[in-house]
Amino acid sequence: MLLDYDRLGWLKVALLGFTTLVAAFLLLPVVFIVLLSFGSSRWLAFPPPGWTLKWYQELFADPSWIEAALTSARIATMTAILAVAIGLVASFALVRGQFRGREVLRGLLLTPMVLPVVVFAIAIYAFFLRLGLGGTTIGFVVAHTVLALPFAIIPIATALEGFDKSIEDAAIVCGASPLQAKLRITLPSIRIGIFSAAIFSFLASWDEVVVAIFMASPTLQTLPVKIWGSLRSDLTPVIAAASSLLVALTLALMIVTALLRRKLQT
Amino acid sequence: MSVEAQQGIATPRIPAGLGGLLPALTLIGLFFVVPVLALLLRSVTDPSPGLQNYAALLGDGTYARVFFNTFLVAAVVTIVTVLVAFPVAWMLAIMPAALASILFGIIILSMWTNLLTRTYAWMVLLQRTGVINRALIGAGIIDQPLPLINNLTGVTIGMVYIMLPFMILPLVGTLRAIDPMTLRAAALCGASPLAAFRRILLPLSLPGIAAGGLMVFVMSLGYFVTPALLGGTSNMMLAEMIAQMIQSLLNWGLGSAAAFILLVVTMALYALQLRLVGSKRAAGGA
Repeated sequence: MLLDYDRLGWLKVALLGFTTLVAAFLLLPVVFIVLLSFGSSRWLAFPPPGWTLKWYQELFADPSWIEAALTSARIATMTAILAVAIGLVASFALVRGQFRGREVLRGLLLTPMVLPVVVFAIAIYAFFLRLGLGGTTIGFVVAHTVLALPFAIIPIATALEGFDKSIEDAAIVCGASPLQAKLRITLPSIRIGIFSAAIFSFLASWDEVVVAIFMASPTLQTLPVKIWGSLRSDLTPVIAAASSLLVALTLALMIVTALLRRKLQT
Repeated sequence: MSVEAQQGIATPRIPAGLGGLLPALTLIGLFFVVPVLALLLRSVTDPSPGLQNYAALLGDGTYARVFFNTFLVAAVVTIVTVLVAFPVAWMLAIMPAALASILFGIIILSMWTNLLTRTYAWMVLLQRTGVINRALIGAGIIDQPLPLINNLTGVTIGMVYIMLPFMILPLVGTLRAIDPMTLRAAALCGASPLAAFRRILLPLSLPGIAAGGLMVFVMSLGYFVTPALLGGTSNMMLAEMIAQMIQSLLNWGLGSAAAFILLVVTMALYALQLRLVGSKRAAGGA
């Protein structure tokens, strides 16, 4: 009866209690950081002696934070566009192509997800130093696209595997060109996969720390590099304010994803 | 009907072919494979040709400690993650849908929240004068603040926090695939809940536990950010040592040799995981 929710008896109470504790553990840092960002203590005393918005004021008054956020947004957007475009054509080949070594190639394209980022970070850092691409936007975008590609390929390929190709063939029989059939039939059908790919590859770049630490220059810093630098010097509540805004962004993304999924599926 | 279309029907599987893979293969070949191979080359040529970098890494007690620590932390994190994740995944697999979706929401929120944000929160929570120490002292459980940060405890808490979703989510799939009838049958035949757990539920979920656990172990081995911020100098991990060798010491030979060792270990374990679960599921699970 261990898999019947209503017949677990005392075990259900124990397991639910434990699950609640774990849920609290998972929520704790997220909720804590938001509360902390409104606390008035510079020394991060908690519960705070009073509530304030001054850390947000300090954050928005400092152009280097704004600059870093804009840099991150720019690099992540370009990464997402590139990764989805490259991932899309690659997924078609991986799912539909009939050639030997397909699984090996799939594995190769997904390897950046498995290799420890620090290894890739120093490799690409050395490589870009030689090419003169260190500390450039192009360098950032290329490196992040390598890391984001698996996160674009997996959802698109999964969606494509679930799509019945005979519908596309039917369009061709009815007179559409193969390209037309792909653009007007297949792509709209796998849009949830494409949309997930865009979100995941955006986040893969937006949250990326390790490559960014090596790649950054004094004039080109992403948001994670800026946070990393502040964390290493002191734990100012301004980081909590920046972090809370990131949490808000995450929540917004989750809600948009949930709504779009619901809309696209109906 | 166009000629094109007729051909399309005559050979319904027009190979989308290798052409579509060209951009992806160029990107990965030029900016992933080449740089990593160049790094490997550097590990046997910098400062002079030979294997002296590997000899130095494997023969020195200081480095041996880092290797040992890396495996120790990864092992502790994996065991704790599995133990915590299993009951949660179990409940998630069978609880009513409304309750489960709330719990999934919490898991996804924690997983999608910026990595540095989460680590920063733990730095503040765990410090000597942090909330947790104050609460424990306030409750009269301890009189002196516990050292919760810059040591194994801190790394373990921070890493388990990050790894939990990667263990829970695939495990839910494994547990949902188990037919509840098998356990009902066991109960009907007189098996105690403990026996049913030990002889049926646990063995049936073992493939999921092994695959998820291996993934958590591999990810932990190469982790950089959290150990660097929550760990202490005395239990430095491999990824942080590599970054230091390159960034602060500019010792490219030694750094790339250490990176190559990390690469080999990771890839070997990944290959093992692929054999356990098959390539598609392994990639999808990560």
